[in-house]
Amino acid sequence: MKGHALSLRRLTKRYGDFTAVDDVSLEVEQGQFLTLLGPSGSGKTTILMAVAGFVEPTDGHVLLDGRDITPLPPEKRDFGMVFQGYALFPHMSVADNVAFPLRVRGQSRADREAKVRAALDLVQLSAFAERLPKQLSGGQQQRVALARALVFDPNLLLLDEPLSALDKKLRAELQEELKALHRRIGRTFVNVTHDQEEALSLSDRIAILNHGKLVQFGGPGELYERPRTRFVADFLGKSNFLQGIARGPDAAGMLLETPGQGIHVRFAGPVHMPRDGGRALLSLRPEKITVLNPGETAENVVEGTVRAFAYLGAGFSLVVETAHLGEIRAVLPAWQSPVAPAEGLPVRLGWAADAAVPVEEDAA
Amino acid sequence: MNASGRASLGWWLLLLPAVALVLFFYVAPIVQVLTISFTEPEPGLGNYERLLTSEGVQRVIFTTLRICLLTTFFALLLGYAIAYAITLASPRARSWWILAVLVPLWISVLVRAFAWVTLLRRQGLVNNTLMQAGVISEPLPLVWNEFGILVGMVHYMVPFAVLPMLASMREIEPRLLAAARGLGASRGQVFRQVFLPLSMPGVIAAGVLVFIFSLGFYITPAILGGGRTLMVAEWIALQILDLIRWGLGTMMATMLVVAIMVTLLVFSRVVDLRRMFGSGGG
Amino acid sequence: MHGTHGAGPFGRGLAWITALYLVLPILIVLPVALTDQRFLSLPQDGISFQHFRTVLTSPEWLGSIWQSFTIALASTVLSVVAGTLCAIGCWRISRRATDLVRLLMLLPLIIPSIIYAIGLYRYFGPLDLLDRFLGVVIAHGVTGIPYVVITVSTALAAFDPRLEQAARGMGASLSQTLRWVILPRIMPGIVSGAIFAFIHSWDELVMVLFIASRDVFTLPRRIWDGINENLDPAMAAVAVLLIVFTLLLLLVDMALRRRAQ
Repeated sequence: MKGHALSLRRLTKRYGDFTAVDDVSLEVEQGQFLTLLGPSGSGKTTILMAVAGFVEPTDGHVLLDGRDITPLPPEKRDFGMVFQGYALFPHMSVADNVAFPLRVRGQSRADREAKVRAALDLVQLSAFAERLPKQLSGGQQQRVALARALVFDPNLLLLDEPLSALDKKLRAELQEELKALHRRIGRTFVNVTHDQEEALSLSDRIAILNHGKLVQFGGPGELYERPRTRFVADFLGKSNFLQGIARGPDAAGMLLETPGQGIHVRFAGPVHMPRDGGRALLSLRPEKITVLNPGETAENVVEGTVRAFAYLGAGFSLVVETAHLGEIRAVLPAWQSPVAPAEGLPVRLGWAADAAVPVEEDAA
Repeated sequence: MNASGRASLGWWLLLLPAVALVLFFYVAPIVQVLTISFTEPEPGLGNYERLLTSEGVQRVIFTTLRICLLTTFFALLLGYAIAYAITLASPRARSWWILAVLVPLWISVLVRAFAWVTLLRRQGLVNNTLMQAGVISEPLPLVWNEFGILVGMVHYMVPFAVLPMLASMREIEPRLLAAARGLGASRGQVFRQVFLPLSMPGVIAAGVLVFIFSLGFYITPAILGGGRTLMVAEWIALQILDLIRWGLGTMMATMLVVAIMVTLLVFSRVVDLRRMFGSGGG
Repeated sequence: MHGTHGAGPFGRGLAWITALYLVLPILIVLPVALTDQRFLSLPQDGISFQHFRTVLTSPEWLGSIWQSFTIALASTVLSVVAGTLCAIGCWRISRRATDLVRLLMLLPLIIPSIIYAIGLYRYFGPLDLLDRFLGVVIAHGVTGIPYVVITVSTALAAFDPRLEQAARGMGASLSQTLRWVILPRIMPGIVSGAIFAFIHSWDELVMVLFIASRDVFTLPRRIWDGINENLDPAMAAVAVLLIVFTLLLLLVDMALRRRAQ
């Protein structure tokens, strides 16, 4: 196994009164693709910089395969890094850029040439070896940065918003390439992004950060299906939030009592369990709601009128005004919609009992 | 069409006072005096022949070139160190460093030459201190020779060297330096392989600026050279004011202008002149 | 990012030595000016202001200071008017078309003043401008233009040309646009240029050595004679006064720039 395991133990970074990273611990196994996801100012980049060695933690440790590397300067860590905006050296050709990590390690010219060629082949840029970075497109520059970060067999590959400078279509293409590359070389990748789609499609593990704190850590499916807090449910995809009083929660499920009706909830996995009789919040993904045909029924049914709708090509997005639950957003495939939506149209919305998940309110 | 034509004529008229002043009171006197080199004492290239035949003329040229090259070298070395320190300094420290560069720049060159004389002459502060401390028994010859000229000229030129280099260092993205370290380069390697090559345009601009300023320098060499080491500017003044040899003096003046223009022309491919003087003069 | 780079001990040491080399020799004139001795030296038994008194009561020194001051004022006016109009014109007319003009305006910075000085020595004779107030004002005024052109051009570079078009579009004439829209916006640049042009004239020696002799005897000229003839502490006192004056002007410039930001 070529990858290395990375652990953060109680990592903290303070700048004066400001706490950029607050007591973050997590473990990444060999060969996994970890994404640090969060809005700007959430501390994700600071964590990456602490892993890279550019930021000295105020407290806590960074471990590689169980060995504490916190005191090592960046150049001693042997981590490949793709910087935001790529940071290609403008005075060096593509080949010289890729050869740079080998040159500073004192490798012979012959070794360098073979490895540079292999790295450029890996990212399909062999034909551009003698060009200067400014003669390349954004996507090509990004691939040079990748080749440069991988050419010296780094312990870990760190990516700081690697795709943020690219347009949407190119971003999707390079996401696939990056994922394929990760599969092929089997190394541990640590990626930083604020793009939740990128995080979901690339990662084995996602760490969601907010205000310097680790809010939730897990696989993409787990995080999407069972968000622990309102912030996670809202940041990773879209969500409706239903408020009420929890009645009779147990391992199997509960009832959410709202002013108009009770909502049945069945727990599909381990969740944050509300207190019986206490206030509770449900997260309900828009795509799990259907518009019911006349006569059709579901475990939960709510009546309302269409307040607004948008045609998305593959489907419709509806905003439905309900009597007691406020506005509910639903996304449904066009072929499944029983009616052509129109403003003011009365509809019945339905969803399964295991579609909604109880979440915690975030601490202010 | 008509209105816009009139408007643009108005803008052109704004240039008139400056252009007229410079043409009639700057370019004309210089052109007129330089043509004397072809007409006095008799028409022809006689004065320029002296470049090949007169040992005195050649000696002045070589002395000037030697001093200018040394001045350029030291001004670049010291200026680079300061510019580098400014680039990497924290914002607060940065303004102190910049002050250390700008204050000498605007203090009268006479005052500075006078200060150096005070320090370096036989009974000057440096010699007195060293003798009292028992380090030396005889005063060192620190001024009224080439050493004195160099000390004063480098002192004058360092700020001019700093400004273009600083401008080019500030354009270097800090991220590139971080990237180099992240890829395994030591501090020394980051400097040699990334920072230094990226700052080269500024070094070249600074070198050209210092060199051409040094070539025609008059006051500092005249005071600190004490009349014993002659550079071209002082030699020209001597020919014209004392020896009344206009032909020879203006020949050397013409050579000086040609040397400066050729240097600028050669380097104009590598260096943006407007930017160089934009930062050098302001 | 912290700790990513920094000068090594050699670089930092050299930078410090250079800073001291730049500043210390200039500061040395202060104790020398305050010496209680009759020759150039550090104070021995105490400090004394006698040399400042000598300078400030001498009709020669005071006369030269006054002459330098009036010449600098007059030549600054010349430089500022010509330089500002020229910078505005170059800014408004396309860059390409005015490249030659810009180059012309840089000439006085490029060509050594010794060459201009010998040129004027010959040129001013027939015009009867040698050893005249007007002659020195013209010489200093013309060579001060580049400083104004540079500072005003810099100020204009940050000025949105559409403001000017908007003013003209609303019916303002060229001179109204100049007075009400352009000049107020670039005032800090003009003042900076004026300060530099003033210092340029105030410190200028080489031209004066050639085109002035008896009636016009500026301060730098008197210092030059002093350095070449009698090195006495009064020279240090003059140097201190000059340094203080220059620093004051630069402080004014800095304050104005800060306010402009």
